[in-house]
Amino acid sequence: MTISDWSKVKRPIPVPGDLSKPFWDAAKNGVLVMQHCQSCGHWQHPPYPTCTNCVSTDLKFEPVQGKGSIYSYSLMFHAGDQRFAAAVPYACIIVEMDQAKGALIAGNLLGVPYTAVKLGRRVEVTFEKLNDDITLPQFKLAE
Amino acid sequence: MWENRCKVAVSGVGISKISRSSETPLASLALDAVKAAVEDSGLKMSDIDGLATYAELPASGHAIVDGISIVTVNCMMAMLKLPNLNWHIQTETVSIGGAVQQAVNALTAGVCKYAVVWRAMHNPPGQYQNLPGAYASGAAQFRAPYGLGGPAQGQATSQNRYLEMFGQKREKMATLAVTQRKHANMTPQAFFYKTPLSTEEYLNARMIAYPLCLFDCDIPVQGACAIVLTTADRARDLKPKPAYIAGYGQRMVYEREGSLAGEVNYMEAGSSSSNLTWARSGFGPRDVDVAQVYDGFSHRAIMSLESYGFCKEGEAMDFIQDGRIDLDGELPLNTFGGSLSAGRLHGLWHIIEGALQATGRAGERQVRNVNVSFVGASVTNFTTFIFVPDPY
Repeated sequence: MTISDWSKVKRPIPVPGDLSKPFWDAAKNGVLVMQHCQSCGHWQHPPYPTCTNCVSTDLKFEPVQGKGSIYSYSLMFHAGDQRFAAAVPYACIIVEMDQAKGALIAGNLLGVPYTAVKLGRRVEVTFEKLNDDITLPQFKLAE
Repeated sequence: MWENRCKVAVSGVGISKISRSSETPLASLALDAVKAAVEDSGLKMSDIDGLATYAELPASGHAIVDGISIVTVNCMMAMLKLPNLNWHIQTETVSIGGAVQQAVNALTAGVCKYAVVWRAMHNPPGQYQNLPGAYASGAAQFRAPYGLGGPAQGQATSQNRYLEMFGQKREKMATLAVTQRKHANMTPQAFFYKTPLSTEEYLNARMIAYPLCLFDCDIPVQGACAIVLTTADRARDLKPKPAYIAGYGQRMVYEREGSLAGEVNYMEAGSSSSNLTWARSGFGPRDVDVAQVYDGFSHRAIMSLESYGFCKEGEAMDFIQDGRIDLDGELPLNTFGGSLSAGRLHGLWHIIEGALQATGRAGERQVRNVNVSFVGASVTNFTTFIFVPDPY
């Protein structure tokens, strides 16, 4: 079973907005941050203007430790986006970080064949430089 | 119960030529569908005084050109030049089911007499695909860079969790695809009218986004369909038997935009709509004789059956087995083939079939003794309807 070759994939480049700029700034420095509600303690990702639990606007981006579990996944056998054709079949995973339960983050599972993906499997965050402006949070199997 | 139940009826339906080719401009197909619906009703085009649609092109990256990739109310008004136009709306968040519901409201309010609602769907030339751009902004910035941008991937993430949580095997979904294809084989306008599908073919089909295989995805088509709605008293003077609207509902419970949790709250979301339809009509799932439920992906039919209350959460993949959803089964389902086998006309074809089944007009695929015909015309918006042949 082969590992997806991402080298020929032309990934769409994220455009940081007002809400997401702190996330991408931290990622550039190899740190994963998520919004943490200062009123009720709820963690959320992707970022949102209000707390999705208590509607407070007192949200701060705080670092999240790198380990989590696979919450869900999709195994792509078809290049719906032609730029990803070279990597097919590949795995997209959605991860719930241990420290930020309730917040979910998407990524690819790097370094292993797509067959390694299982619900609940332990993963940890890694970082993949896309260009000078953007570094992507990604995932590998946890040691 | 809703005091305005059965005050509005569907009194005409029309479907254009359905194909994969975009050679015939969409505006022309939309006009064909509207003309067909008006002719079906027995009205003259000049009688039409209300227009409504939902005009989204559900494929990213293609140019939005009125008359080519969408057909707006503006486009239809310019084509029809109706002499007596009194009301129109183009919906957004409530999609095509919502456009129909707005027409019901307008007719009930007495601001128009004969409304036409259409849905026109463009199939961009070349292999069907979304064409996300070189940059991903908004909610897409957290998905598209990972190749998670398309609707099939989104569906896959919620379906994989579902299969795991309920200990189910994706192979059971063959029954839905195969049964709906049988129904399409009795629907002359259906894209797959002449093409059968076997369980073998389903099980051997290529994977798109696991666990979705080719036959778990709807067939995108170029085509349009339309309905004529009017008040009950006027409906009784028209050609077809009226399909009275006994109640309707819309989704009241939402996910926040960009959430990666998939349809984790589908039970709450779907039931928030169907509870309105049940309460308004006075009927319940056990009263339903035939059902159309949105099936853009096959798993959407599963979420629909459970959240609308036809079976319990986690049970729909077993519920659909053993002939239960066949025409002579306990709950005939997607009797025209659905989006999976008839073609993606985004919920308005489900509404058309619901109205036809309610009034004995479904030809070879007519279910016997229909008193209550249920439609769930969307899953994102979970718009629901009940059609009945006799007011009460």
